[in-house]
Amino acid sequence: MPIWLEAAIRSVSILIGLFIITRILGKKQLSKLSFFEYIVGITVGDIAGTMSTDLDINLQEGITSILIWSLFPVLISYISLHNKKFRDFVEGNSTVFIKNGKVLEQNLKREKYTIDELMEQLRKKDVFRVADVEFAVLEPNGDLNVLLKREKQPLAVGDVFPNLPSEKEPQTVIMDGKILDEPLATVGLNRGWLKTELDKQGVAVENVFLAQVDSYGQLTIDLYDDKLNVQQPQEKQLLLAAMKKVQADFELFALETQAEEAKQMYEKNAKKLNDLLQKITPLLKN
Amino acid sequence: MTVASQVKQSLASLKSIHASFQQFALTSTDEKAQRAFHEAMLLTEEIIADVKQRLSQLEREEPQYHGK
Repeated sequence: MPIWLEAAIRSVSILIGLFIITRILGKKQLSKLSFFEYIVGITVGDIAGTMSTDLDINLQEGITSILIWSLFPVLISYISLHNKKFRDFVEGNSTVFIKNGKVLEQNLKREKYTIDELMEQLRKKDVFRVADVEFAVLEPNGDLNVLLKREKQPLAVGDVFPNLPSEKEPQTVIMDGKILDEPLATVGLNRGWLKTELDKQGVAVENVFLAQVDSYGQLTIDLYDDKLNVQQPQEKQLLLAAMKKVQADFELFALETQAEEAKQMYEKNAKKLNDLLQKITPLLKN
Repeated sequence: MTVASQVKQSLASLKSIHASFQQFALTSTDEKAQRAFHEAMLLTEEIIADVKQRLSQLEREEPQYHGK
């Protein structure tokens, strides 16, 4: 067998083997590389590289060492999945740096963190006053996570409109001009509905590059032809405007009418509409 | 524009609002939103009934505007 052929066969089979091994190791390894996993990755890669080029190395030895280097982390992650103590030992514990707004100096010292470094990490999180921090913790992977005091936390939608219904993820119903039936069914709609909505906007399915349905059942589309302007759904704004108009009309009628009974009826309904407006506005405004 | 026709216009707007709420109640995926829209729809129904009653009263009082 010529040397190049042997090298080629080795390389290809090692590539396939490594591919399978990385699949077994899973996604977690990628997002959160501990120092140990970092070293394992480099070593496995180095062994594989040497094996594919250096034909003097016995295949048996190479494969054995690769298997040990790659399966050992799998074993460790399996054990730590089931045993909390082992997990703490392998992955480390988080250290609390600030608690109840007070800096814990002992913990800083234990992690060999100076107050300058802590402040630098805080500034990375846009916190410039240590006094704004309620709780800060150093994660095992070296990140510092910060919980701000209640009065310093950014305003969320829920603070302004309590009891807001949750917004579900939008579903993509047309991609590359083709209708995707499964997402359509997920939101409880069908092709007939989609066709009506597209007709309303005056476009054909073939011209649509992307179309999504939001959790209110509104369709937003992007066309292949970027020169054409697509109307964004305005139903909500129109509905809100119509409600405001009728409410104002009622108040006007209440003032104009001479009949006492009608006056009361208009006033009552104007109030009803006003209450409804208050309640429904957060749903219609976004 | 007569009073009756103004009221009729409001009634038409109300009906359109009712239809929009109905549509949103049907197409929303979140249950809480569905319920909110449904309640709004029922409320508009009540208002529509009130306005209809007032309209027939007006038409009785001023038959010359009937149907206009």
